[in-house]
Amino acid sequence: MTTQPTELPPSKAFAVLASQYSYDQLADIYNQARVDYIVPMPMNGKRMAEYVRDYDVDLNASAVALNGENQELGVCMLGVRADRAWITRLGVIPERRGKHIGQFLTELMLENAKLLGARRVQLEVIKGNEPATRLFYKLGFEPVRDLMVVRRPPGAPSEQLNIASAEIEPLDSAQIAALLHEYEQTQHAAWTEEAISLRNSGNLRGFYAALPNAERGWLIFQRLPFQLTHFVFGGALSEPVVQALLYHLHKTHNAQDTKVENLPTDHPAWRVMQRFGYLEVFERIEMYRYL
Amino acid sequence: MAVIVIVEDNAQSGRLAAKLLNNSGHRAILTETGEDGLTTIFETSPDLVLIDLGLPDIDGQTVIALLQQQPALAKTRLIAFTAWPEATAHSMAKAYGCHGVIIKPIDTRQFVAQVEAFLAPPEPIAQSPAQHATTGSLHDDSADRAAAE
Repeated sequence: MTTQPTELPPSKAFAVLASQYSYDQLADIYNQARVDYIVPMPMNGKRMAEYVRDYDVDLNASAVALNGENQELGVCMLGVRADRAWITRLGVIPERRGKHIGQFLTELMLENAKLLGARRVQLEVIKGNEPATRLFYKLGFEPVRDLMVVRRPPGAPSEQLNIASAEIEPLDSAQIAALLHEYEQTQHAAWTEEAISLRNSGNLRGFYAALPNAERGWLIFQRLPFQLTHFVFGGALSEPVVQALLYHLHKTHNAQDTKVENLPTDHPAWRVMQRFGYLEVFERIEMYRYL
Repeated sequence: MAVIVIVEDNAQSGRLAAKLLNNSGHRAILTETGEDGLTTIFETSPDLVLIDLGLPDIDGQTVIALLQQQPALAKTRLIAFTAWPEATAHSMAKAYGCHGVIIKPIDTRQFVAQVEAFLAPPEPIAQSPAQHATTGSLHDDSADRAAAE
């Protein structure tokens, strides 16, 4: 992979492959770059390693920018899946900004995506990060839709939300695999919530909810020790079906915190999720650029 | 004198907060990760916890949720200590049952009074009883501040 885009920045910056760094080092550079971010979300080396694995980040196509004194300036990563690529973890260390390093790194990722055969590059940018949004427009990205990060604190749901007539049936691992395969054919999920991301993440659980009127939906999610995350809804997603799914989920896992990332703002489950106490934390804009 | 555990991954910010509290006669214990924070809190049963919502290992909200489930910590005041936008910070703190919010960067002249105000135990309200500092500007015109999620 290249570490020099066609257009060099007007400084002596250069880039090296991210694969030359340990996960701890990458996490440290990323944390330094995001210290003043709108919603700081630091990572440790373990989380960085999981991120690279779960989201198919190619560290040989990702880069760390350095200055002439070999000081790290910033980082940017590239996820690659077939003919699609994903720009992520872009950040420049605050005291080393002002030299177009963000643009340098983004252009580098675009060139690497092209070299890897990608026909489309996508990314998400937090709403309100105007400098980043301007940069991505300048580089040819177009907004596709708005995504939300939502959370729900632990606690059993209100009994008023119970649909007593709903029948719940747990999914075994073969059923989860089959449903994710089916979902993969029709999904329009954000990169982090694609079926492949869930398979990479592991610890998946799921169940069906069936109503007397024959409506049947399912929910697959990742269960971590203290948190439920990575939701995929499927089947008939009428409000009663979603309500039955969420009631069972939170009744069963009432001590778990819940975080759902990159849920489209028009997702059919969102209205019902709010009844269960879900709150929007912030929004991202998903953007595409075709190569 | 109160025992105060600070869970804050930004070392500079954490050290400043700890120094201000220690200089005021409190015993501040600084931890930098959610896991270390939980261990220290379980060991010390502090009077108050200042907890950053963005931690490198476990989300701050998840840590708060775990602390809320510990009967032994029923009297511990849980304060979100965050640079998140104020409205978001307050809604998260309220949802997770925090007793208040202190927005970073701190105002060193007011910080100790802000913390001490939370040591008097009203019901959880997720409102700072002291005038809290506002977040600094998070935006400039430099494209270098760009960040793809």
